[in-house]
Amino acid sequence: MDDQSIVGECKNLLSEISCDFVGVALQDEKGLNIRWHYAVGNANEKYRLITVRFGKGIAGKVISSGSPIMIEDFPNISYGKPLEQPIMLAENLVSSYAVPLFFNGAPKGVLLVGNRQKHLYTVEDQNKVREAASSLEKILILHFASGGL
Amino acid sequence: MGLLSANQPISSYIIQTQEEEIKRIALELHEGVGQNLYSLYTGLQFIEAGTGQPQLKSYIQEMARLMERTIQEIRLLSVELHPPSLSSLGLLPAIKSYTKLFTSTFGILVEIESKGDERPIAEQSNIAVFRVCQEALANAAKYADTSRISLQFSWDQAEVNIVLKDFGKGFDYDESSPSQSSGLAAMKERMLLAGGTCAISSKIGEGTTIEISLPLRGDSGDQRRAIVDKNSAC
Repeated sequence: MDDQSIVGECKNLLSEISCDFVGVALQDEKGLNIRWHYAVGNANEKYRLITVRFGKGIAGKVISSGSPIMIEDFPNISYGKPLEQPIMLAENLVSSYAVPLFFNGAPKGVLLVGNRQKHLYTVEDQNKVREAASSLEKILILHFASGGL
Repeated sequence: MGLLSANQPISSYIIQTQEEEIKRIALELHEGVGQNLYSLYTGLQFIEAGTGQPQLKSYIQEMARLMERTIQEIRLLSVELHPPSLSSLGLLPAIKSYTKLFTSTFGILVEIESKGDERPIAEQSNIAVFRVCQEALANAAKYADTSRISLQFSWDQAEVNIVLKDFGKGFDYDESSPSQSSGLAAMKERMLLAGGTCAISSKIGEGTTIEISLPLRGDSGDQRRAIVDKNSAC
């Protein structure tokens, strides 16, 4: 298993639900910071530099709550101030849906899909994101075990 | 402009009071709440070391982890409210420290260049310039769609000039959104109250440039505040 499997999973999801961006964020093994490790459909490389704290930003909130978050019309309807959602700003996303990635029963990562136009994620879309998250959890657990991150 | 001149002492007083309150809260969080939590954290570690019950040990460890997280949050919140380096080290180190946080938050690289020797600035003017730079950077993150920003400082005997270029998509000043235009107006007003100037220019496709200038001698902002303080004491 390698990075290509993770990126491949993201690419499949990108085409399956017609979104513009798919990103995977993971909490650091040590500490509470969360970073975006993988992205497809990215408009720039900013995601690589973004670090959010536990409980902050869409990734931090998903990990701290262990629950999915949907943003329908950013920045008009958002969780907190627009500046608190750096990945939405960096990738010019208007809508997004993010689900937690669980490792050993605890949320340690996030799978996010986003669109640069206003978009409503149907129940079917949400199920596909959850299925992709399950597949990623299986790939990433091996990655963690081999010290790949 | 006439209205601004008439209201200058009041605005200046409100801003100064706000900044003093922010600084007080930041200090209280760092030195008061933060220190108390640290004492509790070490106490929890002591209790954990002394207990033999595995279930209780695990529970205390979880509490200690939460406490550690809270201490870190308090420390970061305090720094975000009022950077301690601004008073202790000066404007340039404080801006450098802030841009590191800015890059790791928004993924936008900030190149800083400084010409001339940094000179001391009165505290109120210092915080005014820092806040205007903060606002300019935040605007770039929100609206510019850029990956890099250049920040140039030029120091001489008489003044400090700061030029911020965002290399982003730029905007039409007359058609900017209400929140954007009020943010820009607030930056200009803040610099005027500090005795300096703030000029904003933007061209679609070429990005936005913000030029800040602050005289380093005869700080009219501080003089004005002294008058306001004197009046308010009467």
